Amino acid sequence: MSEERRGPEERRSPAFLRWMGNAAGALVFPLIAVLISFVIGAIIMLATGNNPIVAFGALFRGAFGSPLAIGRTLLNATPLIFTGLAVAVAFRAGLFNIGGEGQFYIGAITAAVLGVYVGSLGVFGMALALSACIVTGFLWGAIPGFLKAYFGAHEVITTIMLNFVAIYLATYLALNPFRSEGLVPGTEAIDLAARIPFIGAGLGRANYGFVFGLVAAAVVYLFLWRTKRGFELRAVGLSPGAASYAGMHIGLNTVLALAIGGSLAALGGGEEVLGVYGKMSIPFVQGLGFNGIGVALLGRNHPVGVVFGAILFGGMISGAQEMQFETDVPLQLASVLLAVILLLVTATKLVELIAGKRARAFAGARLEKGLGQ
Amino acid sequence: MDDVLTTLGTLLASTIRNATPLIFAALGGMFSERSGVVNIGLEGLMLISAFAGVVGASLSGSALVGLGFGLGAGLVFALIHALMCITFEADQIISGTAINLLALGGTGYLMVLIFGSGGTSPRVNGFKEVAIPGLSDIPLIGPALFNQSLLVYLMYVLIPITYVGVFRTPFGLRLRATGEVPEAVDTAGVSVARMRYYGVALSGLLAACGGVYLSMGILSAFTENMTGGRGFIALAALIFGRWNPIGAAAAALLFGFGLAVTFQVPQEAIPIEFIQMLPYVLTIVALASFGGRAIAPAAIGKPYRKE
Repeated sequence: MSEERRGPEERRSPAFLRWMGNAAGALVFPLIAVLISFVIGAIIMLATGNNPIVAFGALFRGAFGSPLAIGRTLLNATPLIFTGLAVAVAFRAGLFNIGGEGQFYIGAITAAVLGVYVGSLGVFGMALALSACIVTGFLWGAIPGFLKAYFGAHEVITTIMLNFVAIYLATYLALNPFRSEGLVPGTEAIDLAARIPFIGAGLGRANYGFVFGLVAAAVVYLFLWRTKRGFELRAVGLSPGAASYAGMHIGLNTVLALAIGGSLAALGGGEEVLGVYGKMSIPFVQGLGFNGIGVALLGRNHPVGVVFGAILFGGMISGAQEMQFETDVPLQLASVLLAVILLLVTATKLVELIAGKRARAFAGARLEKGLGQ
Repeated sequence: MDDVLTTLGTLLASTIRNATPLIFAALGGMFSERSGVVNIGLEGLMLISAFAGVVGASLSGSALVGLGFGLGAGLVFALIHALMCITFEADQIISGTAINLLALGGTGYLMVLIFGSGGTSPRVNGFKEVAIPGLSDIPLIGPALFNQSLLVYLMYVLIPITYVGVFRTPFGLRLRATGEVPEAVDTAGVSVARMRYYGVALSGLLAACGGVYLSMGILSAFTENMTGGRGFIALAALIFGRWNPIGAAAAALLFGFGLAVTFQVPQEAIPIEFIQMLPYVLTIVALASFGGRAIAPAAIGKPYRKE
């Protein structure tokens, strides 16, 4: 009753406070996971005769210590924003997209092959190649969605299997029909005019791909929370039964969510080719798709969180190089720490033990569906 | 004619060698998944055991000690997966992915620390081929099937043992029931968590045998990321074989044959990449054709919470 007498400003404030509370709660557990992983890292360093303070100091300097370091971090973070978003969009529709790695490769080969032909068109060629990544990624991503919606094949297994199919397919294309004359196995180098330009500002080799990543995150946010279709996707993810009863088409939304994920991860692959390597050499960079899973979970499958998760992961990678340079700690420690973060971030019961029952609602999401259904 | 026989013999022997790690890992995955815990960490479990085996063998000079190290590492990492999935109720897919990343990063890290550099480890004493007297004299299949390392013979024995263990013993019944209707198992007074720990632990030990065979049966050294997706092929074999030990072993043999063929067929005939993607394509087709329904254990992937 008193609700109605309040002005709009006042009515908004409890919701705003609740939103702040939720945001704070959402941050707590990922932070705990990161802290625990650092403690484990320190123990490993001590056990192998290194000073953790010195090593972590080097890690931090290597990640954020100078404009050049920040540039490297942003460069590393860029593909992870895309592969992280690819997981997050599917997750919002209740689907687990493990196929980021393969979708990334599909995008990379698309950009590498098309980039050679449209390279002379300059920026327009770049835009064309990236648009093509969206299309091929969409089609590739739609396959597991289609198999799930119409044949009941679980997307976790099919996306895992499709990763390998994509990697072998891209390898075949880069080594056979589109192989360059050069000594390095892979495709031909793309015209410099069609590469993604550097940001400059002392950030070293960081390129506008990072900005594209931010735009993609914003588009994903607007799509999921400000469009009818995005609402349907989330509704299907939250409660397929209710969504179906409300007349929403589960199958269509399943295909769409995975296909959009495919487009996003493929953009990441295209961005790596057009922004970093200028071609697809074989073996091509690995693990960016898989790390997208960790980025998405750490970012709680929210576009803003994904960006921060990607920057954290990117910083760990660039920091680890500095750490290996300055101390005896091998840079692979970063992968170990990232794996530990991933391991902890969905451990529901662990949250309860550490932060009490109330925090459980904030723990990483868990798909309660069996693989059998 | 002799040429054809020799080629066939080589192909058969190579099929067995390629299938062995897949069969071990697929049988392991079956124990885990039959108990209701998805294990996509098979790849990582194999990799870490392949590495630990080489470390053990290089420290002691004995292949058997290496196997012991490998089994230990496989068990420890499987128990981490179990702890996360069963006790802490983490998502099983994510935990498995993390195990894979941990194994890849961890072995890379330890390679530098223990052997001084990444890449390939120094050579160690691996498992030598042992010819079984009598059986190895059979033409064609004798040398291919019965002139292999001890781990291959262990694999031959484990297939029927696993089958009987899962379908003909009280333990197997409880294990399968835990993956299908955990509530019923709980009501019958059997601990769901304990059965699942057993299942995941067995998957670690069996995947370890596969990993050790890779680094000490086929090669005699560890190479970074030497599993190269074999854990996922094993997972594919498990699904293709419908979570049945005999079916999984048959699928693994088929995939092992595919891998063996890639070393024999010239690139011009069929590009190697298309043969390599075959196991994955077949699994997708199989999953789509049996609809994914009522095939996997019903409670797979779900943490069990007592009411």
